[in-house]
Amino acid sequence: MPPVLMPPVQKPPVLVLRDVSKSFGGTRALTGFSLTLEPGRIHALVGENGAGKSTLIKAMTGIHQPDSGDILIADRPVTFRGTADAQRAGVAAIYQEPMIFPDLSVAENIFISHQDRPQLINWSNLNEQAATIIARLGVSLDPTRPASELTLAEQQTVEIARALSLDVRVLIMDEPSASLSDHEVQRLFGIARTLRDQGVAVLYISHRLDEIFAISDTVTVMRDGRHISTRPTSETTQGGMIAEMVGRDMAGRFARTASRATGTTLLRVAGLGRTGAFRDIDFSVQAGEVLCFSGLVGARRTDVGLALFGIAPADRGTIEVAGRAVTITGPRQAQSLGIAYVSEDRRKMGLALEESIAANITLPMLDAYANRWGIIDRMRELADALDYRKRLQIKAASLTAKVGTLSGGNQQKVMLAKWLNTQPKLLIVDEPTRGIDVGAKAEVHQIIRDLAARGVAVIVISSDLPEVLSLADRILVMREGRLAGEFPGESATEQAVMRAAVGAAHG
Amino acid sequence: MTLRARLASYEGFLCAVLLALLVVNTLVLRDQSGVPMFLTSDNLINMFQLSAEKIIVALVMTFVIINGEIDLSVASIMGLAACAFGWFFQQGVPAPVAIGLSLLIGLACGAFNALFIVRLGIPSLVVTLATMIAFRGIARILVEDRGITDFPDWFDRLGQAGLIGPFPLAMVIFAFGAVFAWVVLERSAFGRKVYFIGSNRAVADYSGIDVGRIKTVIFVASGLVSALAGVLYAARLGAIRGDAALGFELDVITMVLLGGISIFGGSGTMVGTVLAILIVLALRNGMGLANITGHIQTGVLGILLILSVMVPMIRDRLTRLFQRGAHGTPD
Amino acid sequence: MGNVSPTTLRVLALLAVFALTVAFFSTQIDSYLNARLFNRTSTSVAIIALIAVGQAFVVLTRNIDLSVGSTVGCVAYLVGGLVAQYPDIQPLLLVALAIGAGALFGAVNGVLVAYVGLPSIIVTLATLAIFRSILVQFSTGGSITTDRLPDWLTGFAQANAIQIGELQVRWMVVITLVVVLVAHVYLTRFRSGRQFFAVGSNPDAARFAGISMARTILVAFVLCGALAGLAGFMFLSRFGNITVVAGLGFELKSIGAVVVGGVNIFGGSGSVIGVLIGATLIDLIDTSLVRWEVVSEFWREAVLGFLILGAVVLDTLLTRRLMRRKIAAAEAARSPALQKEAAA
Repeated sequence: MPPVLMPPVQKPPVLVLRDVSKSFGGTRALTGFSLTLEPGRIHALVGENGAGKSTLIKAMTGIHQPDSGDILIADRPVTFRGTADAQRAGVAAIYQEPMIFPDLSVAENIFISHQDRPQLINWSNLNEQAATIIARLGVSLDPTRPASELTLAEQQTVEIARALSLDVRVLIMDEPSASLSDHEVQRLFGIARTLRDQGVAVLYISHRLDEIFAISDTVTVMRDGRHISTRPTSETTQGGMIAEMVGRDMAGRFARTASRATGTTLLRVAGLGRTGAFRDIDFSVQAGEVLCFSGLVGARRTDVGLALFGIAPADRGTIEVAGRAVTITGPRQAQSLGIAYVSEDRRKMGLALEESIAANITLPMLDAYANRWGIIDRMRELADALDYRKRLQIKAASLTAKVGTLSGGNQQKVMLAKWLNTQPKLLIVDEPTRGIDVGAKAEVHQIIRDLAARGVAVIVISSDLPEVLSLADRILVMREGRLAGEFPGESATEQAVMRAAVGAAHG
Repeated sequence: MTLRARLASYEGFLCAVLLALLVVNTLVLRDQSGVPMFLTSDNLINMFQLSAEKIIVALVMTFVIINGEIDLSVASIMGLAACAFGWFFQQGVPAPVAIGLSLLIGLACGAFNALFIVRLGIPSLVVTLATMIAFRGIARILVEDRGITDFPDWFDRLGQAGLIGPFPLAMVIFAFGAVFAWVVLERSAFGRKVYFIGSNRAVADYSGIDVGRIKTVIFVASGLVSALAGVLYAARLGAIRGDAALGFELDVITMVLLGGISIFGGSGTMVGTVLAILIVLALRNGMGLANITGHIQTGVLGILLILSVMVPMIRDRLTRLFQRGAHGTPD
Repeated sequence: MGNVSPTTLRVLALLAVFALTVAFFSTQIDSYLNARLFNRTSTSVAIIALIAVGQAFVVLTRNIDLSVGSTVGCVAYLVGGLVAQYPDIQPLLLVALAIGAGALFGAVNGVLVAYVGLPSIIVTLATLAIFRSILVQFSTGGSITTDRLPDWLTGFAQANAIQIGELQVRWMVVITLVVVLVAHVYLTRFRSGRQFFAVGSNPDAARFAGISMARTILVAFVLCGALAGLAGFMFLSRFGNITVVAGLGFELKSIGAVVVGGVNIFGGSGSVIGVLIGATLIDLIDTSLVRWEVVSEFWREAVLGFLILGAVVLDTLLTRRLMRRKIAAAEAARSPALQKEAAA
């Protein structure tokens, strides 16, 4: 076909979201959100952690149904009852963790959703078709290889190919680059551009601002479940984008208290690293100090916490606790060094919801409650649990009730009580106020300050910027597994911290 | 717990079922001359006696299942221990020593299971399915198709005659075992850890509990107790064959699950297991007195097993129903 | 080994083990390799392989069926009782009834596992007892004996499809080979056949791809029951005498054949060709141990148990090794700098 020079024409949008809202319980995840996706364009979506991006994706792919508002495909409102519905309408998503069948071949993985095709499979035909689709992506991949042998990047390619096989018109890419090497990211960009040139509307979600600028045509910023702005990428600056992402009313900022750092270094780590997670982490924390780790989801802050508590030990670097060099190999040993770790994941790692409140609190110290026959002194156990209920104001009618019956905020306090009961010298708290209400949040903050006042060294890992700014004596920012900045707590600003977290150029 | 809550609990429900069963058995089961057969001391002791070994194993199986695992090899370990005892005895080993050696073998079997489950992380279901066949196989190698009898009188008496009053050794062991198991499971630090591991393994791990050690102890205990039960079985029958205790795992697991212990681990009580044991015994005894054969009894137990796995669902509905009643809210 | 899939590799390894086993016993047992060995082994494999193929469908979906032995016994008894009462019944109708009865038993398991959501191990442990007690109930303790069966039925087990000298290939063997072949083609060439692999390989992804988990699992159990029913018919024809313990132990043997035959016990991979070889290997060891003078025939069960354990351990270790290699490769790709550091 001879090249035809034509002025760019505004093509009709393939997918439009109009005033979409979605709540879970009392929390509003999306409020009146609107978005227009045009064919042949890469549309980037950015926002802080918890801005509502994943809810948005789930609404677009049929996993959640919006409470109100419309999804229009080619100007007609549609309702998706599941991912299959969305796929039929030409909307598909790929995620950080590929949905792959390890035991099946590449070709089969690509065509797995085509169950309505003729029953008899013509393998050579299937492999050819797979090869054609893979070729459309501009990569080389043997269709007969079992998926279990593929790298993560290759599995992702298979997922994109699967979406293409469904004749996808809207492809959502949710943090696709989070676990890829630079080289692989470049290849992914190549694929995305190829798709764009073939007329697919790509919605690209990423925390990495440099990626957004490298690949997208349009960029939308969202915050607290609302649409903030949409403009051509070429007319946007990193600084402006960051301001829109955080742009919060500073009046809502929590009060600060002066640092209680005592000057005695309790923990010092140097060159800490774990292959595939983080590296070159150097910092120290003093008794009585509150040190906050900030950064975006996927910055590997939690991995540092897990390493210090021995759940996923570091494989390089040194750790000194109270001036003594130690190697931390497991939670039990970390506990004996006076370290406690309050997990971000209450359900999976924090509490056994089916067991009683008192039993959860005493679990790490259980042997200390047992006599020499191994029988638990239940009076002492209950007395200690009562003590924590009073101190931390845990609202529970009975301490023998199951933890699962408590509200999120009270569960969080039980988790704190559980680890305070080990009398830690260093307390690591990971996302201490996620998903709990404002009142409970303030109480948890007060508990953390009180601990510091009593000489405990506290490390807070938090994605909540106002929380970090109000709690921290010092702030460390991580990005992609490395330290990306350090700020004193009293003079840090949201913009400065966010800039370090997204890796924006200075200025 | 208030009386009302107790009655509304699953254990309360089991109590009611047991009572109903006892009443029915007492009223319905009569011999030709119309004399009640169920509520006689001979029959009741006989009722325990016939299943004494299984109910002892059910106590330790409660730990295994609460811990989130399963041990399908218990019946084979029972058989192996019984056959090993017979074999040693035949080789001229004095009976007391042979008993000790058989128990050691049970211990080793449990440790063997634990090796694969804890060290290699292979699911206990798969491991004990394989060792269920393997241990039974070793038992058959030992005794082939012979029957071994003629044990010393004191040994047979241990299994058959009353030890304390009319109660034979196995019943005494069960009674003390049940109390001991209750204390360990519900009052000791060990038991608490068993619950937490079954309830949420990661939480237990991160709270500094040595999960591997607890699991090992439980599987070794399961092997040891099964071996003890096997030796008691040999003493009760006074004879041993390669198929000793074949298929007993079904009864044992049914008793435990019926007791409200969740197959997914983490919940259930020793009281529940003991109540379920009594229900199964009364049911089997009743069916036996009504001349229903062993195979059919096993079939009925099978149906009971399926129902008992559905018990958590039933229990939740029941609890909700009762709680609604207790709070007096209108439907 | 670039283009050889792990499944093919597994089948090749099995064939090697098989050849070694034959070679070993032929040095140990006089006149071991003869036509009678083939005739006898192939006939008994015909029955167990059918059951194992059904079991393979179930195991592929991450489940297990412990009730197949009882299904075989019960169907053999029901069908035998029926034909004893009505000797004029159409042979093909009888076979269809056997398959239908088996499928019904399978459906009971399938519904409880797939739709009620109970663990398959518990359900089938229970139905193992229930199905057998149905047998007992019907038999009221009596047995079916050869002399009550029509001649065509008892003769069927002896009927040869092909005979080359001493070497006889029974019709039963041909039927089983056809079933294995059909199952193989279905599982490798048909879209609905591939669903069994998909469901076992990654249930979440299968749901995302619009595959019905429940239906696939139900079909697996029904197929397993149907094949056990067919095996029950063959069992009746071969042995004629059916007692209340008929088919006891087939459940473990079939699981053994499946696992030794290279079907992953955690679902998602395997081939029925491997299962056929696994079944043959187990049966060969079984019959050879009987004739081997060094150990008694009572070693059979122990050998089977340790064989299964060995296969599972091997699988686990190999899978884990593969995973580790994959992770290492992925990490090397991600951070060439780190890799260089480590090398230095």
